[in-house]
Amino acid sequence: MPRELALGDALVPGLLVLFVLALLLLWLLDAIAGRFGLYRLVWHPPLFRLAVFVCVFGAFALFLF
Amino acid sequence: MSTMDPTNTVPAFRQVLAESLREEASVWLFVVKTLISFFAAGWLAMRFDLPAPSTAMLTTIIVANRQSGMVLAKSFYRTIGTLAGATAAIGIVASFPQQRDLFLVALSLWIGICAGGATLYRNFKSYAFVLAGYTAAIVAVPVIDNPPGVFDSAVFRISEVLLGILVSGVVSDVVFPSRMRDVLRRTAREQFAHFVGFVRDSTEGAIPRDAMEKAHLRFVRAAVTLEDLRSSVIFEDAEARVRSNHLRLFNQRFMAASTSFQSLHHLINRLKRAKRTRTADTLVRLYAPLADALQGPIEAGLAARVLLPHLVTARETMRRNAPELRATLDDPQDLRDFDTGASLLNRFAEELHAYIDAAASLQSPRVVAGSVERVSFDRGNDFLGAGIATFRTTLTMLILGAFWIESAWPMGASAMLLATIFAGLFATTPNPTRVTWVVMLGYLTGMVMGFICLFFVLTKMDGYGLLVLGVAPFLAVGLVMMMTPKLAFYGLGWAMGFAYILSLKNVQTYDPAHFINDAIAQVIGLGAAAVSFVVIPPAIGSAWLRRRQLARLRGQVALAAEAPLPGLRHRFESVNHDLVSQVVAQTEPGSADSRALIAWALAVHETGRALIELRHDMGRRDVPATLRPYLDESLRTLARFYEKPDAAGYLLARDAVATAIASVGEHEGQNHLLEHLHLVRLALLDGESVLAAYMPQAPLTKDIAHAS
Repeated sequence: MPRELALGDALVPGLLVLFVLALLLLWLLDAIAGRFGLYRLVWHPPLFRLAVFVCVFGAFALFLF
Repeated sequence: MSTMDPTNTVPAFRQVLAESLREEASVWLFVVKTLISFFAAGWLAMRFDLPAPSTAMLTTIIVANRQSGMVLAKSFYRTIGTLAGATAAIGIVASFPQQRDLFLVALSLWIGICAGGATLYRNFKSYAFVLAGYTAAIVAVPVIDNPPGVFDSAVFRISEVLLGILVSGVVSDVVFPSRMRDVLRRTAREQFAHFVGFVRDSTEGAIPRDAMEKAHLRFVRAAVTLEDLRSSVIFEDAEARVRSNHLRLFNQRFMAASTSFQSLHHLINRLKRAKRTRTADTLVRLYAPLADALQGPIEAGLAARVLLPHLVTARETMRRNAPELRATLDDPQDLRDFDTGASLLNRFAEELHAYIDAAASLQSPRVVAGSVERVSFDRGNDFLGAGIATFRTTLTMLILGAFWIESAWPMGASAMLLATIFAGLFATTPNPTRVTWVVMLGYLTGMVMGFICLFFVLTKMDGYGLLVLGVAPFLAVGLVMMMTPKLAFYGLGWAMGFAYILSLKNVQTYDPAHFINDAIAQVIGLGAAAVSFVVIPPAIGSAWLRRRQLARLRGQVALAAEAPLPGLRHRFESVNHDLVSQVVAQTEPGSADSRALIAWALAVHETGRALIELRHDMGRRDVPATLRPYLDESLRTLARFYEKPDAAGYLLARDAVATAIASVGEHEGQNHLLEHLHLVRLALLDGESVLAAYMPQAPLTKDIAHAS
């Protein structure tokens, strides 16, 4: 994957695109977890959510580097 | 005091201390969290080499709130507003790159339209509109001499704002979050306990009218508060999001049940006033099993489930008792009223059962998909008020813009930006003139503090760590004030003025002349916004708007009589509640305005619901062609009368309802329609209601004896 994408002739950092994708995936995971009450098994849901996001975004970033 | 018993007073003292410490702790937690996000956003913005780190920092102050759900909700709408505003700015600059007059006109119009749109929404949705307006100004105005730079300006602005949002979202959500979900849960529980307790305690049947009015107000407030909370909590909590629809349903059922309950009590009160206690007492006796069913602790959640079988039994008992009790009455008029009351009671019991059912499954661990019908909470909006806001904001912008062009003032851009921001931010508050002045005072103090901080403290500091130490004490004072109810707006002005004028950047410039010029321009901009609120008073809170809202409230009866039926019950209830709570928020409790409003609200509620039920029954079974015209006629005259109340319309409506009742009596098997019509008729004839003003001086004596 290229490090910079040209969207309508504007150069966009690939990392930003991945960030948005990671947010979308997180939103999906969040909805699923909320739907099945999985957050009840976690001590600190927001922290857990943040950690999942870091994992997802970090894994995505491996595409770039 | 010397004989104080230590075992008694020490715990009390300790409790007071603990309470105040807890309160203090939550204030300081807020301050610390805001400071963390403020400086983290600034540091990141500087690392990323963004041109204006102060925007990111200012964003963290603007979205700061004790509850993390509020922060996330506000952030969400701020993102939308910023994106929309930046897009609009690019469009405006691209359309008029070399025409400053047209450019200013287009920009003013856009800002005005956004300010107008903001008045159409409550809570944070209106904030998105405000932001879309002033972001366009922030992006477009600085590049007015350099149109090609607009894209970069937009990108930077968006990055700075999003960075600020991201940082404060993460900090407020992760560092000792204060959950709004708990507030929501508590509110829902309180609403449930209040209402069911009120129903249980009112078995004696007679609730004085003013107690009823007070209860009505409380129920309305409860319904609207719950809806407002719900719309913010869904950002904070994935589980609440899944349950959001269920909560809406809970609220709708609450509104429906409270309306029926009121109709029932008005009926009983009317009967008592007409000295027909026998019918009233029979109805109260019929209603007694319901109160017995509600004995025991009332608590929403799974505990409420035990009430359900009791309620079912109570309804069975009521159904069994009804013929027996009915047999004790002989007068045809008594029988008629008893039937009306019994059917109302039946409807109420049904709605109460649905409400308790919704309350019981509020917290069940797993939500069953598709089990909840989709419902929405409709708002009652006033488009003329929005038009005024649009006009005022556009005019302010145009005057400032013209002044800027004519005087060739180098700092004109600053003044214009500030005026935009404040005219938008406070257009939706009930008393914007006062609020803007208070914020302006705070802003001035904040700027003085900024001067001291920048030229006497920061000049001696080096590096980011020392900058934090130098800035934090000044900012903390403003943040603490933001948390004190009396000083909230002063503190907001302080924090914003301080952070704005400081405009921290990577290579800080120390230029007192520029600082003072900028400060003067900002004060003038703020002053212009404040003056604009005086010159064109905002519609919100004015007697004119109140009259319009009252007219809309009455128009709800026309809606009930004529709008398409599907979903009408929810629409009617939610718009009613929203309108009433809007007007209540803008009137003083106990004033003539507020009393008139509540009186109308009660009449509208009762008649509207009865009409909707009537129309449902008409739709469910075939109505003979010879009967339908009379029913339609009574619906039509009622709608017209409520839209434009006068004595002639009152007579028309009263007679039309009477004719309809008579003609229902002539048809076989249409008795189910009779109860609703009776209810409407009784409400029309109620001498204590607001309609009394339209009654003819010498009415038919029999009717008065019968119903007033």
